[in-house]
Amino acid sequence: MSDWIAIGALAAVGLLIPIGMMTVSALLRPSVPETGKSTTYESGETPTGGTKIRFNIQYYMVALLFVVFDIETVLLFPWVVIYRPAIEGGIPMMDLLWPMLAFVGILAIGLVWAWRTGAVKWTRSPRAASRKTERDPN
Amino acid sequence: MGTAPAQLFPEFIAETLGISGVPGQVVGALIAAAVIGNIVLAFTGVAGPWAKRKITAAFTDRIAVDRIGPFGLLIIPAAAVQLLAKELIVPEGVDRPTWDIAPILLPASALLGFAVIPMGHLGPVNLQLADPEVGLALVFAFASIASVSLVMAGYASNNKYSMLGGLRAVAQNLAYEIPLIVTAMSVVIFAGTLQMSGIVEAQQDVLFTIAGFDIPTWYALVNPFAFVLFLTANMAEIGRNPFDIPEAPTEIVGGYQTEYSSAYFVLFYLGEFVHIFLGGAILAVTFLGGASGPGPESIGFLWFVVKIWGFFLFTQWARAAFPRVRIDQLIEIGWKGMLVLSFANLVLTAVIVGVIV
Repeated sequence: MSDWIAIGALAAVGLLIPIGMMTVSALLRPSVPETGKSTTYESGETPTGGTKIRFNIQYYMVALLFVVFDIETVLLFPWVVIYRPAIEGGIPMMDLLWPMLAFVGILAIGLVWAWRTGAVKWTRSPRAASRKTERDPN
Repeated sequence: MGTAPAQLFPEFIAETLGISGVPGQVVGALIAAAVIGNIVLAFTGVAGPWAKRKITAAFTDRIAVDRIGPFGLLIIPAAAVQLLAKELIVPEGVDRPTWDIAPILLPASALLGFAVIPMGHLGPVNLQLADPEVGLALVFAFASIASVSLVMAGYASNNKYSMLGGLRAVAQNLAYEIPLIVTAMSVVIFAGTLQMSGIVEAQQDVLFTIAGFDIPTWYALVNPFAFVLFLTANMAEIGRNPFDIPEAPTEIVGGYQTEYSSAYFVLFYLGEFVHIFLGGAILAVTFLGGASGPGPESIGFLWFVVKIWGFFLFTQWARAAFPRVRIDQLIEIGWKGMLVLSFANLVLTAVIVGVIV
């Protein structure tokens, strides 16, 4: 219990420090609004279009893969914790090892499948390839 | 774990103040948390405005800050005042309050990770706030809250560079989180516990003796392969070179922090440094024997400081020495290289532990 009180206390301190810095800064800093100052930065040009743009599908594929493997690590944690105590308790090694190998093996097959279908290969959209800044020599 | 657990920092304060029960726990926890928070802040204060410049200057054959104070050290308070007194420019169309919460969340999440880190003894005080049985899982959970903050900043800034930076940050953290945790699991197989003090204690045996000098069973020496894997994944997780593509100043300006100024920018900067030190602290606990080192236990904290500053130096060396990887290379290194190697390491470690125990 006291562990969680201490963690909660550090969470409170961790929030108070940035909020305190923001407050001190709000008291110190000047405010000089000028036209043009608050435009977003786009290499000095006037910003065009919105930012809620379509982006590479690859980010989504990677996120999907992550969910699978993240759950795998969660399920592996109990196994790694009991592994050594169980072996010291006299349980034969293979009895402990094969369920984990089967579990990781199934996911390894999944990774091979994702690899072969190109889920972890970065796709280049034809649009991005055709909009290179290099000019055609002709 | 045969010996009695060491008294934790909040209990020490409660006992010194003579307050018992729950009020003692709360008061002790708050004071201890403030001390730990300020120790970490002091590290970042020295690292950010001073050490980073000095180290980069040494690598690139220049002279850095040396005008104010001895070795230019007084640049630290000067920079703090200067940065906090900058005007805050709120760009058009930002998504508030998301835009304001992101810079609070990043340093808070990184600081929270230090709750379970055993920083060793300083005199009679054991500088560790909490020692729950799930310590190692908890510290990874806290550290990964940072990704949420980076996405918030990237999405809310109404800037295309920020958006790209935020997306890159998530893709990178997702790709390297799994190898990081799976490699840490190989340490858990050796130690048989997730408790941070237990992992440190399991590294105190003697591996072998050279010329009367005992080499301890630090996991970096027991399993150097896992150490290299963990170090690499850690660099990606904290977004340092060669894996600094979420910021990539030469490609996407500053990534998620492009539109931030004044205290908000300082908080991002600070949060990144706290994250570097948290990465160093996790590395020290899991692979470098925590706060152990030659000499009495009461100077353990100094060894801990040496180890995490060693890691900081390493990140700065990498910054000076390695070119940045591209986003497609990053994804392929992560999913095709690191992931496979980390699972191979896990299985191998399990077999080796099964044979030698």
